[in-house]
Amino acid sequence: MIIDVVSAFIASFAFGIIFNIKGKNLFFASFCGALGWFVYKISLKLGNSDTTSMFLASIALSTYSEIFARILKTPVTTFVVAALIPLVPGGGMYYTMYEAITGDIITSLEIGIKTLASAGVLSIGIILVSTITKAIVKYRRYYKI
Amino acid sequence: MNINDILHLSTYAGKIMLENGAEAYRVEETMNKISEAFGVEKPDSYATPTAIISSASHKGETKSVVVRILKRSVNLEKIHRVNDLARNIKNNNYTVEEFKEKLKEIDNEKRYSNKVTILFSAIGALSFTFLFGGGLKDAAAAFFIGLIVKFFDIEADKIGLNSFFSTIICSAITAFLAILSIKLNIAADIDKVIIGSIMLLVPGLAITNAIRDTIAGDLISGIARAVEAFLIAIGVAAGTGVVLSFWINTFGGL
Repeated sequence: MIIDVVSAFIASFAFGIIFNIKGKNLFFASFCGALGWFVYKISLKLGNSDTTSMFLASIALSTYSEIFARILKTPVTTFVVAALIPLVPGGGMYYTMYEAITGDIITSLEIGIKTLASAGVLSIGIILVSTITKAIVKYRRYYKI
Repeated sequence: MNINDILHLSTYAGKIMLENGAEAYRVEETMNKISEAFGVEKPDSYATPTAIISSASHKGETKSVVVRILKRSVNLEKIHRVNDLARNIKNNNYTVEEFKEKLKEIDNEKRYSNKVTILFSAIGALSFTFLFGGGLKDAAAAFFIGLIVKFFDIEADKIGLNSFFSTIICSAITAFLAILSIKLNIAADIDKVIIGSIMLLVPGLAITNAIRDTIAGDLISGIARAVEAFLIAIGVAAGTGVVLSFWINTFGGL
């Protein structure tokens, strides 16, 4: 578990370097990646399905990103991109392809649909949080709170 | 006040942001913010991943300009800097010339050197292998595959190969090296090695931007990015698939 979270941190950090994030943003982005993976693993341990865990992780990481983007005055993408990478279902993509070339089309379809569902659920999590954030910001501006 | 200069200035800022992977709505917002800060009455702009159309109306005079975006890479630091700069025009009382100098400074800023990028790609591949349950030997193999793949990726970028094709080549190399590492007994589990290494090629930014553009209402940009993400994903599958299926069919199994 600890090794996993540390690996996620390093993986996000590496992607921060590839995407050229600099300064303290880099550390906050890597921490975001670790947080996303931590939530995903905890949720799996609690017996949730893979898709649900993915959803919760995506909500956690995008909430974190929206908050810290406002504190550090930087685009939200800076954090979301680096943190999202570990959760992208690369494994699902690979197994879908592998089953297809070895001739097991039914399994390939099954894994393929699961992979699509994971990717879709990731985006729904981000959409949900960012829409709610926008609504809160508009509400506060409208009523001048 | 010269409306021409301001229009070129705002599209220059927009160009920097789009070339480095910003969302469409952020580019439009930033461009309008810059024009407004310098006193243009009615600026308007439309940005897609491949072009910017921008116009400015001021005291009965209307100008417009089209800027094509031909190269696209990812550099989040530049987006952050331009975004920050555009927000603080009024606070810092920039003149048009000063602002142009600042933008040029950002545009010419160096990114992390290729060596550092390659090294961290390798470290990324290593930690992804751990993340997906690979052992120490698998991670070591993924480390070296990451080094080689990122090197090829950067070289392909230099000669201007399109990203779809270079993804196929890179993932084919990944699959080949992974098979090699199994045959040479360096790694134990081929699935983990390949998955760890292809995570470097996964279209993370395209996915994120596709989502963010679509919910911001920029449907054209959203669809364009979604297609990009999908093509890259297909490219990864095709590249690894061709090599693996060739190997299985020729040598009868992995």
